Amino acid sequence: MSRAVAHAPTRWPIYRLVLRSTVTRARLGALLALGLVGIVVGAALGTGVRGPALVDGVGLVDGHLATGARFVNAFGLSLLVPVTALVFASAALGDPDEDGTMVYLWLRPVPRSRIVVSAAAASLTVAWPVVVLPLAAAAAATGGGGALVTSTVVAATIGLVAYTGLFCALGLLTQRALMWGLLYIFLWEGFVAGAADSAARLAVRTYARSALSDLSGMPLAGATVGTTAQWLVPLAVAAVALWWATWRLARRDIS
Amino acid sequence: MIEVDHVSKWFGDVVAVSDVSFRVGPGVTALLGPNGAGKSTVLRMLCGLTPPSKGTVRVLGGDPRRDLELSRRISIVPQQEALFEGLSAYEFVHLAGVLSGVADPDAATRASLALVDLDPDDDRAVGSYSKGMRQRVKVAQALVDHPEVIVLDEPLTGLDPRQRLHLIAIFQRLGEAGRCVVVSSHVLDEVERFGSRVLVMAQGRLAAEGDYHAIRELMDDRPHRVRVRSDDPRRLAAGLLGADGVVGVRLEGPDATVIDTVDASSLRRLVAVVARDGGIRLHEVTPLDDDLESVFRYLVEGR
Repeated sequence: MSRAVAHAPTRWPIYRLVLRSTVTRARLGALLALGLVGIVVGAALGTGVRGPALVDGVGLVDGHLATGARFVNAFGLSLLVPVTALVFASAALGDPDEDGTMVYLWLRPVPRSRIVVSAAAASLTVAWPVVVLPLAAAAAATGGGGALVTSTVVAATIGLVAYTGLFCALGLLTQRALMWGLLYIFLWEGFVAGAADSAARLAVRTYARSALSDLSGMPLAGATVGTTAQWLVPLAVAAVALWWATWRLARRDIS
Repeated sequence: MIEVDHVSKWFGDVVAVSDVSFRVGPGVTALLGPNGAGKSTVLRMLCGLTPPSKGTVRVLGGDPRRDLELSRRISIVPQQEALFEGLSAYEFVHLAGVLSGVADPDAATRASLALVDLDPDDDRAVGSYSKGMRQRVKVAQALVDHPEVIVLDEPLTGLDPRQRLHLIAIFQRLGEAGRCVVVSSHVLDEVERFGSRVLVMAQGRLAAEGDYHAIRELMDDRPHRVRVRSDDPRRLAAGLLGADGVVGVRLEGPDATVIDTVDASSLRRLVAVVARDGGIRLHEVTPLDDDLESVFRYLVEGR
């Protein structure tokens, strides 16, 4: 009969399992529909541009670029990116924790960090194309050009990484991760973070928006973070959140 | 193989397990008790799924909560029904084998599924399985890596009699092979088939432990309470007072006599004789404490 070996590869099976479990038709359909709405609205905005736009402190700029960047910021970075990350990342660990199947992973000789990182990676794998491809298409549809499309892809990815870490941890923290995640997205990031610079620095959106602004060359309100921080802070947020999720998973009761 | 030493577990103000101590060695041990007795909490502590609030749990010499490698040697069949619904039985059990580091997960998966009478080539998702089949998938995933300690929380729930006998035979074979098999149940007659060693839990405490037959005797010898409704309860009470095995008689309402006895079967005959001799018409004879809950309550409070 088979005997146990010391170091078996266990990351990919968990990754594949979470990928299969979190991708449901309902989730995928709703979020792809949201992305499709973005493409349609982006195209409509692009056809409505009649000439250069006047931007405070800069002067006249390409109207398509200005319209496209504002749209990507308002729709993509403020809605599509965080909500998609919330849906998939909170379910990655939250679903097995809630329905009791976590026991089948937990009671195996698998490092807790491996469970958490695999779940986050699976969530990112499914969320990235759902978010970034429609958003890049929407950016292109506004007529903002290649720079806007590239900066959209980078900014959305930065935001997605940070949100995925945060919402993976949230899925382990509470069974009402969707509700708390939406409150964070719309109340904290939507209102509170807009009121003061210090609060804005505690919002993932600020870093993604700053990256979009820097890379596209289009000034955006609230894009106040320097280049280094745009990259490092979201990565650090994701790393700390996943570390916390690992710590939590190792110490909590498994039902 | 398992040492539980003065273990208590509470969740907020609720005490689930109170000062429980026992040792379990190789073979099959049944953990018997009514729902809510604390059985599942004890089993979860044995696997490290929850730490004791007080006391110590040692399994195979280690702390199941902290020693990750120990989980290679312990398996659980949890009570909850949830499985990874989209996977087939093969995929589910194979995943367990891979995560446990089994050298040949394919062969181990096929052997484990065959052991519980499931087809490894059945492509259907376990989400479409019947309750009994799901239960057997859970058992198969627990056995795939040949653990030394196997903890099964109500594993026979939802199984038909043939499947029950089949699984019980598997548990017995594992026990005879030197594995430590701990099986919980709230069904007294089910426990008889598991094996001779029984731990009885009630109200979070260990009420009794030892050989099944000794426990059964203890349960049968307890005082029983029977209510008899008749057209002349006073005369019936008078006729029963002082009879062998009767330890108390009282009247209840206009037509009922409540009798405490240490010999329930003799009492039934005695009541019939007294009624016949006294010309008393009997309406109803009801045992008041024949449910398992009261049996366990007696074991706890009667110690």
